[in-house]
Amino acid sequence: MNSQHDCENCPVHHRENLIRLGIAMDRVDYVVALAGNPNTGKSTVFNNLTGLRQHTGNWPGKTVTRAEGGYSYAEKRYKVVDLPGTYSLLSTSTDEETARDFILFGRPDVTVIVADATRLERNLNLVLQVLEITDRAVLCLNLMDEAKRNHIEIDERNLSAELGIPVIPAAARQKEGMPELIAAIEEVASGRYVCQPHRLKSRSPKLNHAVSTLAQKLAAQFPGLPNLNWVALRLLEGDQSIIEAVRTGELGKLSTGVLSPQP
Amino acid sequence: MFCVNGNPLNGASKAHQSNCACVYLRNTTDYSITAALMILNIHPGLSLLAGILVVAVLAWVFWPQNGLFALIDRLRMNSRRVLLEDALKYLFDCEYKNIDCGLHSIAGNLHISADQATRLLDRLRAMGLITMKDQFFQLTDSGKSYALRVIRVHRIWERYLADETGIDQMEWHGAADRKEHRMSAEAADALAAQIGNPVFDPHGDPIPSAQGELPEHKGQPFSSLEEGAIARIVHIEDEPHTIYEQLVALGLYPGMQVYVLDVANGKITFAADGEECVLTALFASSITVELLPDQEPLSTKATLLSSLQVGESAEIVGISPNCRGQQRRRLMDLGIVPGTPVTAELRSASGDPTGYRIMGATIGIRKSQADFIFIEKKETTADEQPA
Amino acid sequence: MAKKQQNSNEDILSLANNLRWELGVDFHDTVIESIYADASRIARKTVRTQGEKPAYNWDFKIDRIVTSRWLGFPIMFLLLALVFWITVSGANYPSGLLAGLLIDSLHPVLKNGATAIGMPWWLSGVLVDGAYLSMAWVIAVMLPPMAIFFPLFTLLEDFGYLPRVAFNMDSLFRRAGAHGKQALTLSMGFGCNAAGVIAARVIDSPRERLIAILTNNFSLCNGRWPTQILIATIFIGGAVPAHWAGLVSAGAVVGIAVLGIFFSLVVSWGLSKSVLRGETSAFSLELPPYRPPRILQTLYTSLIDRTIFVLWRAIVFAIPAGIVIWLVANIHLGDLSLAEHFIQWADPFAFFFGLNGVILLAYIIAIPANEIVIPTVLMLTVLSTGLSGMGEGAGVMFELNSVTDTENILRAGGWTLLTGLNLMLFSLLHNPCSTTIYTIFKETHSAKWTLVATLLPIVLGFIVCFFTTQVWLLFFSHR
Repeated sequence: MNSQHDCENCPVHHRENLIRLGIAMDRVDYVVALAGNPNTGKSTVFNNLTGLRQHTGNWPGKTVTRAEGGYSYAEKRYKVVDLPGTYSLLSTSTDEETARDFILFGRPDVTVIVADATRLERNLNLVLQVLEITDRAVLCLNLMDEAKRNHIEIDERNLSAELGIPVIPAAARQKEGMPELIAAIEEVASGRYVCQPHRLKSRSPKLNHAVSTLAQKLAAQFPGLPNLNWVALRLLEGDQSIIEAVRTGELGKLSTGVLSPQP
Repeated sequence: MFCVNGNPLNGASKAHQSNCACVYLRNTTDYSITAALMILNIHPGLSLLAGILVVAVLAWVFWPQNGLFALIDRLRMNSRRVLLEDALKYLFDCEYKNIDCGLHSIAGNLHISADQATRLLDRLRAMGLITMKDQFFQLTDSGKSYALRVIRVHRIWERYLADETGIDQMEWHGAADRKEHRMSAEAADALAAQIGNPVFDPHGDPIPSAQGELPEHKGQPFSSLEEGAIARIVHIEDEPHTIYEQLVALGLYPGMQVYVLDVANGKITFAADGEECVLTALFASSITVELLPDQEPLSTKATLLSSLQVGESAEIVGISPNCRGQQRRRLMDLGIVPGTPVTAELRSASGDPTGYRIMGATIGIRKSQADFIFIEKKETTADEQPA
Repeated sequence: MAKKQQNSNEDILSLANNLRWELGVDFHDTVIESIYADASRIARKTVRTQGEKPAYNWDFKIDRIVTSRWLGFPIMFLLLALVFWITVSGANYPSGLLAGLLIDSLHPVLKNGATAIGMPWWLSGVLVDGAYLSMAWVIAVMLPPMAIFFPLFTLLEDFGYLPRVAFNMDSLFRRAGAHGKQALTLSMGFGCNAAGVIAARVIDSPRERLIAILTNNFSLCNGRWPTQILIATIFIGGAVPAHWAGLVSAGAVVGIAVLGIFFSLVVSWGLSKSVLRGETSAFSLELPPYRPPRILQTLYTSLIDRTIFVLWRAIVFAIPAGIVIWLVANIHLGDLSLAEHFIQWADPFAFFFGLNGVILLAYIIAIPANEIVIPTVLMLTVLSTGLSGMGEGAGVMFELNSVTDTENILRAGGWTLLTGLNLMLFSLLHNPCSTTIYTIFKETHSAKWTLVATLLPIVLGFIVCFFTTQVWLLFFSHR
């Protein structure tokens, strides 16, 4: 849980670390992480993308082991990692740690957040948390068919503008929206779509003060860190893996250069 | 009709198989159990008694908390070390709160005679942990860091019990009092890391950092407040136990906002969570508060989610601070935050968990949890906001 | 330089610590609240619901029925009973077919083939009579019921009904300190305990999940039903007038299964009140919307994920066990085999518990799969009593088509009604099979809990058998 070397569900998946973990990454161009609330059809999206047949149950929290698969598109090879379904990334459960650490330390090229269109507000909780960590994300609005049946309409363009990332409506069970999703992933991965993720502001003045004090220090120590405020907040929450990353200087590696843009 | 088979070894091959349909036995001893026990000549009543005895003894040996193992475990604790550490802790507490600390108060606090206290203090002095300064004792630097280590373990353990276990809050302090003498600093650090490196214990006391830092003492005794003051409870002293018990029974907790209504005749009347309480000065001095100068008093007494009938709707006001740790985070993750509309949708066939519609999903919540959630009932009917 | 870097890293951490003290308790709440505030602002801007009411009415109507006070439980029991009935009646024929093919036809062929190519008798014994036969047995008995049970269960799961069962049953399990979803791991355990242990993953609260894992073995699994039915037919059915035999023995088997549920609840309660008091508990139960199950995909995934997976684990464990079974029956010390030595040594001890040495040895060496307990018992009984004309030879497990023949062997081995009763109890209350033990270890990552899960039922089993026997003897031995 606290050691970076215990690699069964070790989060370090950044490209230079991958060979060390024994996952064949020589011929993969992009890593895509799949995050989302439980029971939003995340595994179905995963199966559609990779052609695998992970079990998908109508049970919250079905996927417990992390699944990996791949696909290739427009002459690029993508590796897809299905993260455990979680409601949040702030608590201390193992699942949430796995998901969070992968998004932070593994620095996937794109994080696809699968959300249930019928319960968008609830799902936005996780979406906003993911956007605090990474600035390369795509929102897959799944279960649009159910939303339609329930007369729920979502203004995707407005949502995309609010969140600052591409929003793709989909119905994964009917395999609808998958080509668009793959195209959006490609755009973000290649850097043709530059995300401007929504960042949280509405906090209490006392907390804002603490966060900015700490963020200043962090900026001086680890220049170029993309998610200063979030890291500061995690330190204030006593998150052990972030504390370790600061102590060992591992955090600095995250700031050395934004991911390589496309040839 | 039994026949004796001459060859006791039926052998590995099938060569010995005959087509005899009757059943052969090697010898004529009746193998039945009744007979076997009669041969052993043990009366079943007797062995029944013996069996009950064995089960009782086993249960007594392995019984958690009160069994023999637990007892031996408790006795193994080095009582001299316990006394020494308790003394350091007490001395530190006095210094932290700027109270002078003499021989008799130490003896009283540790429940030992003045003679024993003198010997104990002599030993502490010989070990270089305390010094004497005009009749009062003071911790040396090494004494202070020793005390801080013990306090750190104590408070981390209390936090752990509060957040991560189902152990009742009346038992936290006692359990931590035992744990502090046997848990190593490394084990405490590991535990702290696991539960999110807490900086406050559940009573509102700061937890010393691993490096031995501790913030300045903040706040003032509740008994010092004047009429009209609004303050927040930052700490409830858990000793003496009898006072703590009653304060907890009143429903007071750290983080609670209090509004002083009246101070008269050594009694303090105040509003807390919309309810009026009266405390004597003695009880009030067990509570430390922090003044909130420009704050409106929270007055409304919230209704509990469990009181919502199927079909009714309400808005969530908050979660009680007595719901802690993972349970609290889980509820918040499910969307139970102030301002969220909630509708009681269906009740389980067995009557207990109730399904509440929260942000478009139906969540089953037990009554015991719903008792922790405060709501404000709405006039409007079950019409929901857009999901 | 590096040192300085290190220092300022520590400075940041200590600054963070000081800031946390200033912030006070529970600012975590305000963080989450601020996220939800943004979320609800965005949702208000972008989501519109048309029409008067959101149309989750269909779901709502089903829920009203399946959780209603009067219909909720009957519907649940009917559905679960239907699943079990389809499993039991549907598995009979393919099981017989597989047994005929793998055991009756293929085994002699392999045996002869081994002799034909000049394999020494001990090698063909180890490989064909030991390893192959136990594997064949496990496949024949285990595969058909699981291939029927798991897809049916998965269909109910995909439809969304199972969370409602958990919702209805929660009250009972809450009193036992457990989670409503344990009702499902328990039902799953009737199919296979290893699958039940894996299914405990859906319980998201650590303490309740552990309780569900530790008590799953009290569900009478698929591998133990045939044992129960056989022994009940012989000894309990045999003890009452013939026209009552069927009903009484069936009642006895169901009674054992109900006793298992009872133990499951009592042990859950005991665990939650004692050793697991200090474990984290956080209840939540989301009731997902109903979705039409996709039948073909369900068949495929439940076959791959559950059936084949569990079967594979069982085979992996059964093969070495088959070898051990053959060896203990064929290695001789003096003029007795290892098995006979053990049986003679264990008999007096076992009699106290109303069992015998054969049963104890069978449960030790047949630990990989409950399916092979009866064949092993029969083989060992023939071996130790020196019966001839029965069985297939030392170390070769067998079963008989005729219940009467089986009865003759067991009675010759000294079995009485009491032995039968105790075997039924012991079959319910003994250590989990090694597949389950291994699965428990994989799921809990803890040797300690695996050990508890293994020893707890067997200690209970000995206690229950002991008291049953002694009380029985007190009342019936003076005839």
